[in-house]
Amino acid sequence: MEHYIILARSITYAQRMQKSLGRAGVRCHIFRPPRDLTDMGCAYAVRVAVPHLPEALAALHRDGLDPVQIFLFQKGLYQEVEA
Amino acid sequence: MIYFDSAATSFQKPASVAAAMWEALASMSSPGRGGYPAAARAADTAFQCRSELAELFGLKNPEQVVFTLNATHALNIAIKSLVPPGGRAVVSGYEHNAVTRPLEALGAKISVAAAPLFVPEAVTEAFDRLIIPGTDAVICSHVSNVFGFVQPIEEIGAVCRSRGVPFIVDASQSAGILPLDMESLGAAFAAMPGHKGLYGPQGTGVLLCREDVPANPLLEGGTGSQSIQQRMPDFLPDRLEAGTLNMPGIAGLLAGVRYVRRGGVDKILAHEKHLTQMAVQGLETMPGLRLFASPGLRHQVGVLSLTAEGADVENIGSALAERGIAVRAGIHCAPYAHRTAGTLDTGTVRISFSDFNTPEEVARLLRALQGVLGRGF
Repeated sequence: MEHYIILARSITYAQRMQKSLGRAGVRCHIFRPPRDLTDMGCAYAVRVAVPHLPEALAALHRDGLDPVQIFLFQKGLYQEVEA
Repeated sequence: MIYFDSAATSFQKPASVAAAMWEALASMSSPGRGGYPAAARAADTAFQCRSELAELFGLKNPEQVVFTLNATHALNIAIKSLVPPGGRAVVSGYEHNAVTRPLEALGAKISVAAAPLFVPEAVTEAFDRLIIPGTDAVICSHVSNVFGFVQPIEEIGAVCRSRGVPFIVDASQSAGILPLDMESLGAAFAAMPGHKGLYGPQGTGVLLCREDVPANPLLEGGTGSQSIQQRMPDFLPDRLEAGTLNMPGIAGLLAGVRYVRRGGVDKILAHEKHLTQMAVQGLETMPGLRLFASPGLRHQVGVLSLTAEGADVENIGSALAERGIAVRAGIHCAPYAHRTAGTLDTGTVRISFSDFNTPEEVARLLRALQGVLGRGF
């Protein structure tokens, strides 16, 4: 199923993102993204449904939270997208 | 046992603390080390604890809450982040070795803002005089661990801000007992134990960090983030939390923090002051005792020191222990405080209270002390 993943710098940052999105009514969950999505190793991300990306980004922006990277998962592949 | 040594560690804890620790042992692994349920539960608990501590101490961002082993660990991080070897620090006359030994180890030039007990204006004046250009940091205990003296950290913070000098608050005796708002205080760091006024278990401590102050790790190691990089991450809390977190401790600390927030800091303070006042009134009637009390307890919280004419403080402590009463005698790891108060040669007997002490226990202490002093040494 298609979705976006928003990479966070740490588990705590991902939790702050989850809290921010929860306040905005955007459902998401935290998970560990595939290894090849980050060149730093060991990352955390939040997963959001495709239609909710704009409101998710707006909420994160409002709370001063910067994603490391954003990827679209589509047809079994991850593709980086601009924030 | 009647326990009056909560300035060292609060011994009686809410039942929820032990229950939370047991639950953590049974169900949690380590945060930031995996996506499986046991790791997720640990991560949720750590985040919840950071968030509630941030709310209690006026921080906007839970990432500014760093878990440490104890207040000493937190103070070492703070001091060594700000004071370079051979640097210059100004401290109050009531500091603990947790502050002064790291400074000595750095070879720092230490200026002591010494002032008489229970005269906060004199403390502020002394800091005002000693904070000069070239000062790397100012460090002050919110409450003296020996005398319960509440030092004027808001005023000292204001002097620091006006001189552009970073301020470190040692909140070891005040966290959970007096209000502390990092935002309005503008302190670079505040260090505190989890196991005293926050009613968490031993082996827990907290360092509150201002976002724009660079902090240097004391330990390097795994953080569960940026694992390929060989430098520590440059963001909090990971930068200062190398290695596996003490999850049973953090779960217990969260339960302790919730106990404090549910009851309210003001209510705990009022209770401890009431017991202290009761002890002062009883002790004042005993001949040969020297009490260190602020009139009306205006500048003092639930820590009370005394000496007795002709009696060694350690002997008093031992005699009370034989009667099932735990107090702390000696220098209390705070020679600076005793030097300032003029009690370095004798030490003092320290009585310190928690939310779990009762007026009946204070009455028993007074009777026991009367008996101990009556028999002579």
